Amino acid sequence: MTHIDRHDTDILIIGTGGAGLFAALHAQQSAPEGTRITIAVKGLIGKCGCTRMVQGGYNVALGNGDTVERHFMDTIRGGKWLPNQDMAWKLCEQAVVRIHELENEIGCFFDRNPDGTLHQKAFAGQTADRTVHKGDLTGIEIISRLMEQVLARPVDKLQEHRAIGLIPTRDGSALAGVLFIDMRTGGFRLVRAKTVLMATGGGPTMYKYNTPSGDKTMDGLAMALRAGLDLRDMEMVQFHPTGLLAGDHTRMTGTVLEEGLRGAGGQLLNGAENRFMFDYDPKGERATRDVVSRAIYAEMRKNNTSANGGVFISMAHLGPDTVRAKFPGMVKRCADSGFDLAGGLVEVVPTAHYFMGGVVVDADTRTAMEGLYVAGEDAGGAHGSNRLGGNGVANSTVYGGVAGDVMGADIRAMGTLRDPCPEVLQAEIERALHPLSRQPAPVHPLRAALQEAMWDDVGVMRTATGLERGLSRVAEISDALMDVGVAGDNLAFNLTWHDWLNLRSLCDVSEAITLAGLARENSRGAHYREDFPDEGDLDASYYTVITQTGRDLSVRRDPVQFTIIRPGETILPESEPETLVAAQ
Amino acid sequence: MSTDHDMLDVTVQRGSADHVHHDRFQVPARDNQTVLDVVTWIQQMADPSLSYRYACRVGMCGSCAMMVNGVPRWTCRTHVKKVTVNGKLSLAPLRNLPVIKDLAADMDPFFDKWVAAEARHHPTRGRLEEFDPIKPDARDRVEANLGIECINCGICYAACDTVAGNPDYLGPAALQRAWTLLNDSRDGDRPGILSAVSGKGGCHNCHSMGSCAQYCPNGLNPMRAIAGLKRETVKAALRGKRDA
Repeated sequence: MTHIDRHDTDILIIGTGGAGLFAALHAQQSAPEGTRITIAVKGLIGKCGCTRMVQGGYNVALGNGDTVERHFMDTIRGGKWLPNQDMAWKLCEQAVVRIHELENEIGCFFDRNPDGTLHQKAFAGQTADRTVHKGDLTGIEIISRLMEQVLARPVDKLQEHRAIGLIPTRDGSALAGVLFIDMRTGGFRLVRAKTVLMATGGGPTMYKYNTPSGDKTMDGLAMALRAGLDLRDMEMVQFHPTGLLAGDHTRMTGTVLEEGLRGAGGQLLNGAENRFMFDYDPKGERATRDVVSRAIYAEMRKNNTSANGGVFISMAHLGPDTVRAKFPGMVKRCADSGFDLAGGLVEVVPTAHYFMGGVVVDADTRTAMEGLYVAGEDAGGAHGSNRLGGNGVANSTVYGGVAGDVMGADIRAMGTLRDPCPEVLQAEIERALHPLSRQPAPVHPLRAALQEAMWDDVGVMRTATGLERGLSRVAEISDALMDVGVAGDNLAFNLTWHDWLNLRSLCDVSEAITLAGLARENSRGAHYREDFPDEGDLDASYYTVITQTGRDLSVRRDPVQFTIIRPGETILPESEPETLVAAQ
Repeated sequence: MSTDHDMLDVTVQRGSADHVHHDRFQVPARDNQTVLDVVTWIQQMADPSLSYRYACRVGMCGSCAMMVNGVPRWTCRTHVKKVTVNGKLSLAPLRNLPVIKDLAADMDPFFDKWVAAEARHHPTRGRLEEFDPIKPDARDRVEANLGIECINCGICYAACDTVAGNPDYLGPAALQRAWTLLNDSRDGDRPGILSAVSGKGGCHNCHSMGSCAQYCPNGLNPMRAIAGLKRETVKAALRGKRDA
């Protein structure tokens, strides 16, 4: 019998990005006195995850002509009419409160105009100067300030605790707790809670090139699948066009070179060092992320590539000193890695960046399972088929706070802790221990194989043939993983065991992404089907929903509910201009 | 076959507090290669039991900081060519912290001291009030901005000999954060911060040796911030005496 440590709490929060940390603070404010709050995270509090990596900033309508209505319309249009409109509305509306909370209560200091008001800039796809920021390191300011607030509060902290299974009650009607591996000891710990927020972050790291933090492996969505929850928009993987390309052997590959480089006049050159973007779009390098990603991918397919198989970004024509002055962080990062961004050519490639899909929730972060709440990148619906730059951290902080408020209120009506189903608990333990009873073999080659398969067949441009092939490749890798073992003589901080578990999660979610990609027979936002290049009938828009029953995944299409606005309409007054952003 | 010169000779500290030993690995040298890539190669290709920590890969989180040839560094942003000595690399967990296993240090004491230094914002306004219209060129704001890019990676804490000699010392990062807050006109607990940084483990322990400023990967200068705290705590103490 495997030993399991136990920890009981009232409110459990998994993840310490913008969603998890805000949930902890709000839960403490809204819950009755004496409520026990526990926060668990796969890495160190506030250090792992992706909120910290936010460069650009935080979208919020703060006047000067901009309105919540305009932010909402940009979000709906950017998401190609697929967002859950109630969630998108709450995102835009509550962002106004949350940004004030970040400045006034949490202590963030965002960049100012000379008169002391907050500076705001316009990202692609926005019709107003809306993005609040702290230089190009906004995430560090937000997470460091949130982290120090949470560290100072009486919250139980379980660091380097990896969630491996949602454990329901025996009748399956509610969540009883979450099973973790304490990564430092390798032991199991069951945390029972009346309410659980899952805010582990998405992070599409099953692609050959990807931007998220290295700890991110979609564990939350893999757990949600096994728990039988509905997952929506699973085909929607956002690619950033310019990830650094430095070879397969370095973790630098895939990391983002910021959007602003193209905005400032950066040029993309193919292997022959010729510009190519104007062959694809009249806006050239300034076209939107999805268009540029597809153009680079097309050049790569034509083998018009650089030494490592990508293209080049060139800034030198702007004057190396100008580039150094305007992008000091990027230039330094490239220099540390051995590249001259200011004066030379740097190889780039589209890179998987953000996952729009996630668990079906309502605008209060509740799921179909009593006791389980989901916020941040694990939740689907707010962004639809595409996320606007600057809406990611707004989403995680808004809905993390909402989850804290709602959990704090909901536990008042909840009696005692629930008893976990012993069979599910045992099954999850066996699942995690599986590799320890097999002959040890390297895990890494299979991770690379999965990343190749997803990049080739479920990537920037998709076809039915490719997706079918991807499905069988993922299945082969998934099966092969079950025969790969990990030496279990010392489970303390055993990264290779966690590499195995990471790949387990990635394989499971990859299958869901591929199936959803097959089910969407049109092209919307981040999802592009070469065999169905049109966006389809907007009035008949549907979103895909994937559900796991036993070991089988099923996919269905649910009609988008236009609860606020229908395609072709706007909630802005007729007199409102199309955009408030001055032409560049 | 590789020749010696395209292999790196890497020594890695293994084990935890009671049982430390060192292992040597021969790692292929590459053109684009960070110290984190070397550590990753060892774990993936040579010894799957090696423990280390990393997250963002781009110098934003500081999780991967460790001792590289005796010097604390972010491994994700340290090019191998910059630090190898005769093709040799020596890796150890971040100094001045307990070891969990191999290259992973326990950061808890570092963050406990962050809390002890009152290093968090003490609000004077709420979420339903306007932003404080602070001009970016205001003198105290300019001073506060000097330390704002700290990512709490612990490099300065590992570099500091005073921390090494005095486990109670709050250390450069936490004190620098306190100085930033002291210069933030929005903060509502100036006395609380001054009291927190003037106690037994406080700013007056600093001997101004400057390792913190020398090794900060972001080019910050905690020593300067600590000098500011020393001035302000002395002034506050004198005021206290006068008012008594």
